[in-house]
Amino acid sequence: MKQMKRSQVPLYSPLLLLCACAALLGGCATGASHEAMVPPTVTAVNKHPQSVSVEVSGGQETDAMGKSQVASESFAQALEQAITQSQTFARVAKGAGQDYKLSVVIAGIDQPSFGFSFTVKMEAGWTLRRADTGATVWQESIRSEYTAGAGDAFAGVVRLRMATEGAARNNISQGLSKISQLKL
Amino acid sequence: MYARLVLSILILSVLGLSSGCAVNRATATISPDSDMSKVKTFYVVQQPKDQRGIEKLISDNLAARGFSARSGPETPTAPPAIDAVVTYVDKWMWDITMYMLELTVTVRNPTNNFPMATANSYHTSLTRKSPSEMVDEVLTNIFNAPAKKQGE
Repeated sequence: MKQMKRSQVPLYSPLLLLCACAALLGGCATGASHEAMVPPTVTAVNKHPQSVSVEVSGGQETDAMGKSQVASESFAQALEQAITQSQTFARVAKGAGQDYKLSVVIAGIDQPSFGFSFTVKMEAGWTLRRADTGATVWQESIRSEYTAGAGDAFAGVVRLRMATEGAARNNISQGLSKISQLKL
Repeated sequence: MYARLVLSILILSVLGLSSGCAVNRATATISPDSDMSKVKTFYVVQQPKDQRGIEKLISDNLAARGFSARSGPETPTAPPAIDAVVTYVDKWMWDITMYMLELTVTVRNPTNNFPMATANSYHTSLTRKSPSEMVDEVLTNIFNAPAKKQGE
């Protein structure tokens, strides 16, 4: 078989190679990390002395070839960490024995497919109930958004993940801020 | 050797890209303690950008399931005698022809707009479905999703 010399390789080959690598790398989406969804500060008006358990549903696992998603478990971890850091409740309890039950349903995440700046919008339904009676203390649908600009990350998948994490972070911040305003 | 490397990477990239062409996803989530069996009357809010009449497909599908359903524009307050308000987000893509890539339907409490149930269907080009099939799949998932009690 006749071997192709280096000089015979078409000039556009490096370009094709680059495009192919970009296409391959561009498809590698990763899920929102729980660390990045923890708001750095939460304005806690009241620091409730009671304990709370956290339950999150409606999240999705990320498909490597799809878009970055928010998994329920990651959101729950971020929420628990945010509660502990902000001291919105005295303690996050697992299992039985807590005073309140906080459930969050991720109802929708709106993500763009193209663009330089990615704005991701998120809606989550927050419900706080008394653990002993099951009575609903507070219920609200919270909408949040975050824009990651072209300067935040070069790769689109990373930019989209950052915007998704930012929208989740803002949602947690708003939710805990509202809970802290309650008189429990 | 160099040409083989280029060819291999090109084939791999085509495989990598084309594997995204048959992604199917269908999910449904019912908020804890939301009882969908009590919801009998729906109002489907038409999305202002929707010119394809998806709101009609949703209300017709609900009516075919035996519910009372009507559709119309968003109103400042929910219409009277409504058990739930339905909102949706439809996303379309072009591949030879336009097709519905994704549909998300949310059933809301009319008093506080709280999402009682939400479901989503996502089908890429190779496994595309018609808008009415997408609507049917999403609503079937909502009504078949098990009701969940808090803490379960």
